[in-house]
Amino acid sequence: MQQETTRGLTLIAPPLLYAVALMAGPLLAIVVFSFWTQDYLTIDRTLTLANYREALSDPIYRAILLRSLWISGLVTLITVALAFPVAYFVSFHVDPSKKSLWLFLITIPFWTSYLLRIFLWKVMLGFNGVLNSIFAYINIPLEALGNATGIAWLQEGLSAPLYSASAVVLTLSHAFAPFAILPIFVALEKIDRSLLEAARDLGETAVTTFLRVTLPLAAPGVVAALLIVFIPTVGDYVTPAQVGGPGGLMIANMIQTQFLGLNNAPMGATLAVLAMLVVTVIALATIWLARRLSGVRP
Amino acid sequence: MSLISLRGIEKYYGTYHALRGIDLDIGAGEFFSLLGPSGCGKTTLLRVIAGFEGVSEGTVTISDRDMTRVPPNKRPTNMVFQSYAIFPHLTVAQNVAFGLRRRSDLNRQAKDTLVEEALDMVGLGGFGARASTALSGGQRQRVALARALVLRPKVLLLDEPLSALDKKMREQMQVELIRLQRQVGITFILVTHDQEEALVMSDRIAVMFDGKIAQLAEAEALYRRPVSRRVAEFIGVMNFLPATVADGVVDAQGLGKIVVEDLQSEATTDGETMVGFRPETATLLFPGQDSEGRVARGTVSEVVYYGDMTYYDVRLDGCERPVRISMRNVFGRPVLDIGAEARLAWSPGALTLFR
Amino acid sequence: MLRTYVIAFLIFLYAPITLLPVFAFNSGTVIAFPLDGFTLEWFAALRTNRELHSALANSLTVAGTTAVISVLLGLMAARANVRYRFPAKAAAMGLVMIPLVLPEIIVATSLLVVVVQFFGWSLSLVTVVAAHVLICTPFAVAILNASFQSLDPALEEAAIDLGETRASTFRLVTLPLVMPGIIASLLICFTISLDEFIIAFFLTGSDTTLPVYIWSLLRFPKQLPIIMALGTLLVLASILILTLAEWNRRRGIARAGGSDSGGFL
Repeated sequence: MQQETTRGLTLIAPPLLYAVALMAGPLLAIVVFSFWTQDYLTIDRTLTLANYREALSDPIYRAILLRSLWISGLVTLITVALAFPVAYFVSFHVDPSKKSLWLFLITIPFWTSYLLRIFLWKVMLGFNGVLNSIFAYINIPLEALGNATGIAWLQEGLSAPLYSASAVVLTLSHAFAPFAILPIFVALEKIDRSLLEAARDLGETAVTTFLRVTLPLAAPGVVAALLIVFIPTVGDYVTPAQVGGPGGLMIANMIQTQFLGLNNAPMGATLAVLAMLVVTVIALATIWLARRLSGVRP
Repeated sequence: MSLISLRGIEKYYGTYHALRGIDLDIGAGEFFSLLGPSGCGKTTLLRVIAGFEGVSEGTVTISDRDMTRVPPNKRPTNMVFQSYAIFPHLTVAQNVAFGLRRRSDLNRQAKDTLVEEALDMVGLGGFGARASTALSGGQRQRVALARALVLRPKVLLLDEPLSALDKKMREQMQVELIRLQRQVGITFILVTHDQEEALVMSDRIAVMFDGKIAQLAEAEALYRRPVSRRVAEFIGVMNFLPATVADGVVDAQGLGKIVVEDLQSEATTDGETMVGFRPETATLLFPGQDSEGRVARGTVSEVVYYGDMTYYDVRLDGCERPVRISMRNVFGRPVLDIGAEARLAWSPGALTLFR
Repeated sequence: MLRTYVIAFLIFLYAPITLLPVFAFNSGTVIAFPLDGFTLEWFAALRTNRELHSALANSLTVAGTTAVISVLLGLMAARANVRYRFPAKAAAMGLVMIPLVLPEIIVATSLLVVVVQFFGWSLSLVTVVAAHVLICTPFAVAILNASFQSLDPALEEAAIDLGETRASTFRLVTLPLVMPGIIASLLICFTISLDEFIIAFFLTGSDTTLPVYIWSLLRFPKQLPIIMALGTLLVLASILILTLAEWNRRRGIARAGGSDSGGFL
């Protein structure tokens, strides 16, 4: 048994040391770095809270951090709400032999170039973009209808929202949809189907069975989906940069600017640490809340 | 001369004491069973013999060679795993030939011949080219047997080999395993939790509880003369009646006074004790029948009719818990009703006195 | 009704990438409807673009190296996780898997700080590979965990019981049975690395990877049709690789005699 333990430790050592050296170490470094300051190109290595003071008091940083959380929160809720019915459909209504094909279909867009997908949304939403060129046809009858009825927003017609926070929300929701579907699907698959029959047998309707049995049992999957969407979207860079415009920029864009544009790397580090802290707190709070609500499970 | 001899085997998993002082000798050509409930250590003991588990203390000797520190691939033992462990990426023949890879003394043709013979022996002649994933449970087990036996081990270890099969298949494989063992003449060590299976197949059986051997005996002796109440309860059904011993006379509740010489047991010390008997060793007397004095009276409290047999629960006078009696439904014997008066008779030697 | 919703959802999911081929073959330079005419001009432009070719070569090198290292690390971690018990196992596995939920901007900036500020090294494709291995390893571990879990431990014991050593058992039994998982995780890691932008954006030196090059093109409206053509080819390549990976994964499950219960992740 001693030998088995040694073998296990020997095997885990390389990947573990790699993670420590390239993740834990650098994370520690960035924390240290956030307590330094930079004046043009020279770095002052005295430890100070100046960056944190500035980050928390400057309204620009605060606004951008809050906006990141707000956009990510909205994206998370929309994505999970959109994803649940899809996961439910694949788990409960798709023939078992075809389930993996469906999952494959759902995951393919996720695996195709992220950059290109975001760029394509820009193309679709743009002033000359695909949606607006489609809306141009639709807007003619809408306008006529608006003129005839006197309804103002019909007269204005439809237009796609580029360079705004809503464009960021729409694009991110699309990008992270498969991320939300998979954990919910896994949780739904684990539900013993006889539990649902038992609920029906005990007098529940299809709707109340769903509410009293299916939904509570799917809760761990939903929580996982919430986190798996929320955490990476807070730190997303490409989407706000492409479709956000000045009103849709997020914390990652600010971090990038500090590092590569303004040459104020310690401030970038501070913002990164703050973002990480906030995300961790929110993630832990979500897990804690989910446990409290479900009542059981370790 | 014993083929396998285990001395003072102790096995700990952390603080859990899995095997406690096992001493055991198993002879060449013997069909030996390790029988016990799950968690009793029987599989651990088998894996100690195979070499998959090291021991915390004690020695394992096979054919007069100390094997305690020898790895499984260097031991003259082969195993039939509970899951059969048939390599899914290999054909039936490749599975059987797996252990022959290192036999440099054999050429390709000789190996093929050995594989064919092994498959014939287990009744799978002509199955060699099949994909191993396309086999039924019974066929997979035969492949596992052929794969182990083709190496001519001194000992074949079988870890609950029949537990995955349905009842009919299991009975058929029991007979085949006995036939196979006689044919190859090597030692078989079987691990099972099924007492019936152990009784049917084995020359000798070691009953294990809590990491210790509770009784080591031939099948019949184990059934007829269990050494403890726990062994008796594990092997088949036994009725127990509280009793007291005084001056060579046993006073068993419901049965009355019996001289100790009429009972099986070495426990003749005075005091509180238990008397046990198996359902088929007693009989219900019918009107007109008589027995020489060994008769107790009671009332039928439950009747379960099985076609060829009837099981009665009889509440003996002066006894709270009913005893179970099984009666063969021979021609002309009526089935008693619940509430009927019953007289219970037993033969000398049917009763066992427990400490 | 649910079915209609799911179909609408799939259309929403696929709508953007279906635009790629539409505009890749459209002769107009503005990405909007109505379409102008059919052309192969944009694909032809890809063939002569030197910068693109070197970025592609860099990306393939980075992705290939990343995939091999990640899968090796993934094999060790998954094997240790499924087969052995050792102290602080949950914590160790957790640490290896964390990059899966770490925002990539954090990975990128923290490595940038260490490499440039603390060590004063210069950025190169090596730094990109190092970071990509970090984020790809968890995916390899997840896939290989499943492969090792579907492997009956008695199979390895049987091989040893039949006279093989630990090393030859790994080669003759374990490796063939886990191979579909290895191939699937190689392909997945390759795809992730090939696609990854933000880390490469922070950590590349003078040599750029394909996504970083595409990012630089996005600023020029005239280049958009060329990006469409390039994107079409990339999506086709991704689908091909993923189909291969999925086919392999299923073959592995069928081979181990198990039943299929899910996709990647």
